[in-house]
Amino acid sequence: MDTNIKFNTKNLDLFYGDFQALKSINMEIREKEVTAFIGPSGCGKSTFLRCLNRMNDLIDSVKINGEILFDGKDINGPIDVINLRTRVGMVFQKPNPFPMSIYENIAYGPKCQGMKDKNQLDALVKESLTKAALWDEVKDRLNKSALGLSGGQQQRLCIARTIAMNPEVILMDEPTSALDPIATAKIEDLMSSLKKDYTIIIVTHSMQQAGRISDKTAFFLMGEVIEFNETPIIFTNPHDKRTEDYITGRFG
Amino acid sequence: MGRTAKDSLVKGIIYLATGITLSVLLSIVGFIFVKGISLVNWDFLTRDYNEKVVYAFMESGDVPLSIDEENLNNKQPYDQRYETLLEGPIYVENIGAAISKVSYKNHSTEREQIVISYIEKDSPLNGAIDSTGKAIIIGTDYILQSINGTDFSDMTLEEVSKTISAESGELKIKVVQPGGGIKSNIITTLYMVLLSLIVALPLGIFGAIYLTEYAKPGRLVNAIRFAAECLAGIPSIIFGLFGMAFFVVAMNLQISLISGSLTVAIILLPVIIRSTEEALKTVPMAFREGSLALGATKLQTIFKVVLPCAVPGIATAVLLSIGRVVGESAALLLTAGTVAQIPGTLFSPGSTLTVQAYYVAKEEGNIELACAIGIVIIVIVIVLNILSRITSDKLDVFNKK
Ligand SMILES: Nc1ncnc2c1ncn2[C@@H]1O[C@H](COP(=O)(O)OP(=O)(O)O)[C@@H](O)[C@H]1O
Ligand SMILES: [Mg+2]
Repeated sequence: MDTNIKFNTKNLDLFYGDFQALKSINMEIREKEVTAFIGPSGCGKSTFLRCLNRMNDLIDSVKINGEILFDGKDINGPIDVINLRTRVGMVFQKPNPFPMSIYENIAYGPKCQGMKDKNQLDALVKESLTKAALWDEVKDRLNKSALGLSGGQQQRLCIARTIAMNPEVILMDEPTSALDPIATAKIEDLMSSLKKDYTIIIVTHSMQQAGRISDKTAFFLMGEVIEFNETPIIFTNPHDKRTEDYITGRFG
Repeated sequence: MGRTAKDSLVKGIIYLATGITLSVLLSIVGFIFVKGISLVNWDFLTRDYNEKVVYAFMESGDVPLSIDEENLNNKQPYDQRYETLLEGPIYVENIGAAISKVSYKNHSTEREQIVISYIEKDSPLNGAIDSTGKAIIIGTDYILQSINGTDFSDMTLEEVSKTISAESGELKIKVVQPGGGIKSNIITTLYMVLLSLIVALPLGIFGAIYLTEYAKPGRLVNAIRFAAECLAGIPSIIFGLFGMAFFVVAMNLQISLISGSLTVAIILLPVIIRSTEEALKTVPMAFREGSLALGATKLQTIFKVVLPCAVPGIATAVLLSIGRVVGESAALLLTAGTVAQIPGTLFSPGSTLTVQAYYVAKEEGNIELACAIGIVIIVIVIVLNILSRITSDKLDVFNKK
């Protein structure tokens, strides 16, 4: 077995009630790479991403067949979901900082895991915010509500919050779709600096973004993965006609 | 009829309806105030409803009158609410106070009494203690009944003043603190609010958490919700009857503070569950997802993220509940009683302001007193409203920037 493979899904099907949203997905996601998911909206990118940290548990109607191996272990088997989610963090489409202070937002996850020591928390908050390139902007207002930050800052806070858990994988679901171009550029810079430490899986609505930041790209269509390959190949020499149609904008 | 005519007709009806509603409201509040305001004063708020007999001990003194005669006569020795001046005042030096004879009306009985109408600053009365050695406060309009065993019942004011002057050394005076106050009702009301909230708030909040966060939508949840809604619509007398049968009789809790507050707690539950549920539902799903994605447990998510967001809504529930308790009469009449006293224990009876207003109006025919109590109730409700609005603003996590 290849030890560099973080996630490996085998014949993954997902149903919302009777509706099949994912069809037999087989994908290997490698460690410390940036993997991008592209495809028209409604094709199952978010659904697949949410399988990887079992966020779909929240939806009652979801049924899953097939395997999702994380470091070789099936995460739908008898595993500790809490532990899985501390190892596989997630950043959402709309920034969702908690209505607490900036400090408390970062300290929230570690505190939930039982970290109490003030000095340790202080250091962790600083480190996480620094890694998320937000420290200089917020260091004087750590005790102010996170809701007072701009959208881009809020999203970087959410990334910092995720980093504070020291996860192995960070899942991002269209993290820049609600942001302006300048804030988007900052987040993209951040992602390239994070990729040496973390495995990043990102859903993106923008093919340019996928091209700029990802190592591998998967093209989704109607619940299926049509093509999964090195990003340059997907964008310059796709093997499937449908991929080519999509990236050249001839789709639909 | 033309369109503009129709429009202005409808407009007129709307204005008229608003005007009628407003003026009815204002005239009710106005009526209560006009009827009752003359009775509302500090004594009314701080005295017991029933008069209280105390023996006061003091050393006799020799205090000259420091104000002139006319001034003394102007000191209102009596409370016009229920007393008419008959004789006096006469100043007595060895107790440093002036006494008068008044016709004293307490509730429905009327009798002649000697009352204290003026007290000098250095009066021995100000240093009085009771039989246990505790300092007691004797004020003007306290009734004097005896000194060192000599009863004043059949004496004229002149004779009383001579009797008092004849005594020296250690004095033992029997005084009666006039009643007519609603201190006990205010305190009982506060107890009732506190106790019923202590019971109903956690139950209601946990119930709402179960319904919104845990229960799978379906028959059971709908049944619970339906039951809660029905409960909210049932008149409180039914709860009173239940409380009487169950808490008072079956559980043998007697007519008491605890029976009353448990009964009211049941009345409050649907209100609290409903408003808390509404508050929890408005908390964005994104917060729950964000928290769970950080490896928080469901319980941590609920208590650290979801509930704090719902605090303003819960504060509204508390506010509604307080209003409900303060306004409750039927259920409490049957379960907590009409005894105007401060409940010594959870198992003693006590009457809240509303019950007392009902009682004095119905049983004693004293509308003025009932209206005075009404004023206090209105003021309490307004103050609580303001307070809870302030706290809910303070606690609103979305307000802080
Ligand atoms: N909670 C849900 N219940 C039922 N169907 C859903 C749910 N979430 C998503 N779907 C459906 O699943 C399909 C894939 O959705 P999604 O994964 O959100 O697509 P994408 O992220 O690629 O835009 C869509 O057709 C969507 O309507
Ligand atoms: Mg999506």
